[in-house]
Amino acid sequence: MNDRPALELRGIRKAFPGIVAVDGVDLTLQPGEIHALVGENGAGKSTLAAIAFGELQPDEGSVAANGTVGLVHQHFELVGRLRVWENVLLGREPRRGWRIDAEAARARVLDVAQRNGLEIDPDAIVETLPVGVQQRVELLRELDREPSVLLLDEPTAALAPSEIEAFFATIVRLAQRGTAIMIVTHKLQEVIAYSSTVTVMRHGKITATMPTARTSIDAIAQAMVGGEVPALAAREERPRTPVLRVRDLRCGQDERRIDGISLYVASGEIVGIAGVEGNGQSTLADCISGMTNFDGSVEIEHGDRPKMGVIPQDRHREGLVMGWSIVDNVILGRQEALRRGALLDRDRARVEAALIEERFDVRAANLDVAVRTLSGGNQQKIVVGRALIDQPALILAYNPTRGIDVGAAALVQSRLIEARNGGAAVLLISFELDELLTVADRIVVMYRGRIVGAFDRTHFDRTHFDRTAIGRLMAGSQ
Amino acid sequence: MNALNRFGPLFAALLVIVLMSLAMVVARTSPIEGFTALLTGALGGPNQLGETLVATSALLFPALGICLAFRAGLFNIGAEGQLLIGALFAGAAGAQLSIPGPLGIVVLLVLGAIGGGIWGGIAGWMKARFDANEIISTLMLNFVAAAVALALVSGPLKGPLATGAETAWLAPAYWLPILIPHTRLSAGLLLALVIAAILQWVFRATVFGYELTAGGEAPEAARRSGINISRLTWIALTLSGAIAGIGGATIVTGELHRFNTQLSPGYGFTAIAVALVGDLQPLWICVAAFGFGILESGGLAMQASAQVPKDTIHIIEGLIILVLAARRYVATRVEKVQAA
Repeated sequence: MNDRPALELRGIRKAFPGIVAVDGVDLTLQPGEIHALVGENGAGKSTLAAIAFGELQPDEGSVAANGTVGLVHQHFELVGRLRVWENVLLGREPRRGWRIDAEAARARVLDVAQRNGLEIDPDAIVETLPVGVQQRVELLRELDREPSVLLLDEPTAALAPSEIEAFFATIVRLAQRGTAIMIVTHKLQEVIAYSSTVTVMRHGKITATMPTARTSIDAIAQAMVGGEVPALAAREERPRTPVLRVRDLRCGQDERRIDGISLYVASGEIVGIAGVEGNGQSTLADCISGMTNFDGSVEIEHGDRPKMGVIPQDRHREGLVMGWSIVDNVILGRQEALRRGALLDRDRARVEAALIEERFDVRAANLDVAVRTLSGGNQQKIVVGRALIDQPALILAYNPTRGIDVGAAALVQSRLIEARNGGAAVLLISFELDELLTVADRIVVMYRGRIVGAFDRTHFDRTHFDRTAIGRLMAGSQ
Repeated sequence: MNALNRFGPLFAALLVIVLMSLAMVVARTSPIEGFTALLTGALGGPNQLGETLVATSALLFPALGICLAFRAGLFNIGAEGQLLIGALFAGAAGAQLSIPGPLGIVVLLVLGAIGGGIWGGIAGWMKARFDANEIISTLMLNFVAAAVALALVSGPLKGPLATGAETAWLAPAYWLPILIPHTRLSAGLLLALVIAAILQWVFRATVFGYELTAGGEAPEAARRSGINISRLTWIALTLSGAIAGIGGATIVTGELHRFNTQLSPGYGFTAIAVALVGDLQPLWICVAAFGFGILESGGLAMQASAQVPKDTIHIIEGLIILVLAARRYVATRVEKVQAA
């Protein structure tokens, strides 16, 4: 081991048309350190990671790595139908003549796994494995190249709490053996728990680098936002009457399957669905929003309000027409409300779009720009604003703050709480337990298509016991 | 890239000029001489202008139909067959029926719309019901249309005095009025322009136009907004075919005054290029149709006096489609890089 840094970035600048993603960044990774890189969406973290890995060329500046650099992507890049060892050695298969030497390959994968303390069946078909194990495969693929620098882009986004612990145990072990690790993340709890240094990016620049031991979640969040994190709207209690009644719902297959779900949501409350991605949440949402056929019953008591406002899971694909203006997107899903005979009342849509722009602090040059040109946070504000504008009786929100920055997330959460205060029933499906603990009045835990537990705000209000209990249920243990 | 998108039609015009110049140089003709021949042949006198506008009209109907389908995200490349069936309906009825005067013309045009609509609707129904790829079904229905038309006018619908595969002539009462005296240009062109204006309005102002375009631009978002995508699919393909079918009927009632299996030299295919060059905007498509009308009618003159084969025109039309497709591909690539 010498004293040279494992990775040294000097004066990195990278511009894309219309935006400087990374602007004059210096960053040094020492062997054996776990360096957390945090920042709001669009701060330039992923671009910087791609430059460090060599996937992108910087416009200016230099990258010097002492050894190989590995990158584990946020979204797994695995071939589901192939075996574990085939995925780990994809493109580097040991050969015997024209053929792949399967035995040597298996032995090599087992060896890498053993040396890094990872348990794996090299012959398992990847798509049959739980997400946490797939992550291990992804990690093994990089470890096989014996990297001296390992970059991890949002590595725990899809993992259950217990899987996250196991994952970091491996990472800490790697660091102890001298690998330099950089974790791009937005989960500040993990930053505090596992990293040794934390660097905060904002608008393409580094705004703070500090030893983790001498900082706090609040300090990091402030550096990310560039000021105080806005406070959430206060709760007001009002009489509750049932709005959504779901009885014995059955639908879908495999990881989309739901198997006998019953729940209710009353006006003036937010019910949170906790669970790791892929436990039937999207099927539940599809059944309630009428996007699929199902067994069982879904009743919505909406009185004289419009029935439902939906914040869909994937705003790009399901929520917005990316090439269209803000005004035209505000119409989507509300064509009937804006219909005047055969015509569409675009003037009213424009007034409503202006209202959403104001209430949600949407940053756009004007209402006629294509939503594609807006940041993810601003796009999401339009989706949320549109779902709330007609004051529906039921609001179905699916990860409404996923992938948007802290400030925008707080605003979206506040508007949901205000809608609840105004008598809406809110069903909030989220993969972020912290979000549910902050916002929900009740939390229902989903695991493999069933409801495995329910918690009330008077109980869980940030008590450690319930947090652990919910986390266990999410991972499938009692 | 944005500038390129915005000036798509101008870009295409420029491209045509460059490609044609190249073709002329290859044929050892000076481009100036070649273009002079082309433009004189297309616009040199009332007769030439009349023929150019006849081609413009014949291209405009199927191009507008294609525009409607493409806007809904449906690649209808069956305009040729839809046009032919529309013409067949009008020609067969016109040769048999006797409805007095102007009403008769309207009936024949409506029958053209019904014929084309059925032909487009079949593909729409297959897509909505069985998820059959509309590119393949509309293309194949072109062949079915040609075979059906040939079989009918060779047998039961064949005119008593006809030598080839065609119906009897229509009574002059069913002929569309002529716009420029002593040319073949009929009032069909005006009808095409009216349809273009209506389409522009439908896309811009109506709920139907909004839902149609939403379904084309973002099908999943459209479905989640409560739009019935399969209903939209068959309506869009039916309307698309109906517009092409009216085009076929105007050729029968306006120029040929009978149905003939050879009545379209591939208008329905050239119309794809017209619709794309017109950026799927009805009003721009009118301009593009005129441009292609010039190529169609001036091509022959160019071949005669500048020794550039007329087929060059078709090669260039093909290249335009390729280049425009590539342009869209490049645009989406650039967007992806920008998003990263």
